[in-house]
Amino acid sequence: MQTFTGLVSVLLVFLWLGGNLVSPLRPICDLRVLDHFVREARDSEVIMRGCRGGCGAMKSYFVPLTSVDFAVLEHMDVNGQAVEVQTGLSLLDQALNNAMKTVSNSPLANALDNNISNIHSLGQILHSLDLQQARSTVLPDDSAPASTQTQEVSSLPELLQVQSSFLRGKVRLLLSAAPACQRQNS
Amino acid sequence: MTKMRSNRLKIVFMLCLAFVTTGGQHFESKVAQLLQDETEHIKCFVEGKDLTCFWEEEEERNHIHDQYTFTYSYEKKNKMACAVSSLYLLASNKTILFCKLPKTPFFTTLDVQVLRDGRMLYTRSLNAENVLFLDPPRNLTVMSSGKEGQLNVSWLPPLLKYMDDSMIYEVRYAVDGSNMGKVEVIKVSTRLVLLGLQSNTRYKVWVRVKPDGVAYKGYWSAWTEPVFGVTPPSDVDPLIVLLVIFIGLILCLLSLTVILSHHKFLLKKLWPDIPTPEHKFPGLFTVYKGDFKEWMSHNNGSMWGRSVPVYTEELPSPLEVLSEVSLTSHGTSQREERKPVEEDEEKESERSDSGLTDRWRDPPHAHWLMEQLRALQENPESRSQSSLLQSHDTYVTLNQGDNEQQVDDVFEETLPLQTLFTTAGTSSLGTSHSDLGSLQQSSGSGRLSSQSSFEYPNHTWPPKGPGYAYMAVADSGVSMDYSPMSSSRISCTGPIW
Repeated sequence: MQTFTGLVSVLLVFLWLGGNLVSPLRPICDLRVLDHFVREARDSEVIMRGCRGGCGAMKSYFVPLTSVDFAVLEHMDVNGQAVEVQTGLSLLDQALNNAMKTVSNSPLANALDNNISNIHSLGQILHSLDLQQARSTVLPDDSAPASTQTQEVSSLPELLQVQSSFLRGKVRLLLSAAPACQRQNS
Repeated sequence: MTKMRSNRLKIVFMLCLAFVTTGGQHFESKVAQLLQDETEHIKCFVEGKDLTCFWEEEEERNHIHDQYTFTYSYEKKNKMACAVSSLYLLASNKTILFCKLPKTPFFTTLDVQVLRDGRMLYTRSLNAENVLFLDPPRNLTVMSSGKEGQLNVSWLPPLLKYMDDSMIYEVRYAVDGSNMGKVEVIKVSTRLVLLGLQSNTRYKVWVRVKPDGVAYKGYWSAWTEPVFGVTPPSDVDPLIVLLVIFIGLILCLLSLTVILSHHKFLLKKLWPDIPTPEHKFPGLFTVYKGDFKEWMSHNNGSMWGRSVPVYTEELPSPLEVLSEVSLTSHGTSQREERKPVEEDEEKESERSDSGLTDRWRDPPHAHWLMEQLRALQENPESRSQSSLLQSHDTYVTLNQGDNEQQVDDVFEETLPLQTLFTTAGTSSLGTSHSDLGSLQQSSGSGRLSSQSSFEYPNHTWPPKGPGYAYMAVADSGVSMDYSPMSSSRISCTGPIW
């Protein structure tokens, strides 16, 4: 009995430590990382333009809205932005994966693969910014396209364009406006 | 109260107008620039947060702008219309029609269209974040950094939110008055240190800005107004100055030492002494002021006792040149003339250390004697006359009459002459013989009349008498060949032939 309680207490200690040690990540505030992803998204667009054959079938994809109204943005809070960004990233991730299944051209396939891994990295970056509300509300769902924050595109070039605009716009503005990064800069 | 209000309103109005006009100036200049640079029909740019699209009005159309319609749409939404305005550009004498979008969506594709009388004229798809046309940077300042050849340049970015970290700047600088400028590109940072500039020079600096092209793209802004800065004067490192002075001093000392230790040698080389015969003629220049006759008369006797050079050979003997030929008057006169000359020569020969060449004596006497010989040749009767002077002095004889054969032989070639000389004692004779032996023969025609040393192929010299030694010296008519020995001897017989 005594050994059992001892073991339990040790386990509890480990759990507590584990819980505390995992979450506080150092925030990644350097926008040059995002700029790198933006450049790679643009490279995919270029490869797409030059692709001759095996460049993906005509398919509809659900993608996030990319438009940014600065006037509206100023009044929006960061967490709301974070939600938008998280949702959008997951949508893009799904769409790109679907697109890759139809692509046989190897340079294009490699580029798309690169973009997918970049989106995952962005997720990690957002996580590091400790945007709690964002994390909790993300619910990746394949079968639920109906959302006010989505639009439909019918080809891979359009999808890639949306990806590029999304990264340059909403994601970037969120990262530059994140409180964790503001605290560091000020 | 109302007056104050109206005044305030006026001030506000003026300020607004000023702001609008400056904004308008910026706007106009941007429009003008894009009119030249942009190739699309619909030219769009974002100033601040608003997108402006404009197009050129065709000149033949005189109708006003309400015929034109501008529509735009994005994200598959419905088309929206925008109010069209016109603007006349003074600089380029053109009219443009433009539309400012009220709420510009960024990061999405915009489809814009221009319709004229309901029919589509132009169309374009663009992203608003790709056509940023920024204002030039503000508050450009140029300051001296204190270091040589450097200037600190700093400025403020144009007033724009969200884009501070996406800007790229171009700094242009040139020497005031020069057209050659250099350009430096700098990312994000709003300050720059210009390096490698000329000292104490006035420089002009301009700056312009553009989005960096990653998140935002656009056109280069206009250049700022130039700002002047002066580089600090070059200051010489004091350590270097000291070292240079020190090394210079050391070099000077070294050169002085060298010069002083070899000053005599250097002086000789640079300023050689003109040799003066002063030491041989004591008192000639100092007492008698160069009057040789006077000096001679005063120093005649005493001279011989003093500084007589020691010869290993016999003493030079006085010499007289006699001419058997021709005209006794000539001969005697020559003799008379020659006496003092001989004496002079003797004395000179005593004194001279180096061999005197007698060429300076040659010309007048040689010429006269030649003529005499030629005359002899022509008139053989005159040979019989001889004006041989009998004395115990040295004689030079033009010995034509004694040996006719010899004379003939002689006259066939050049003109050989005999020299006769003797001295008081026989020892001298002996030495003279040896001396004679070293006389050279000129080309083929020389005959030397030394009884002991030389061969006489065809004839022998009849001995003239005891105490005489004969020597023939061949004369080619151009030069005399003497041995170096003879210089001391023959030199005293300058006119001897």
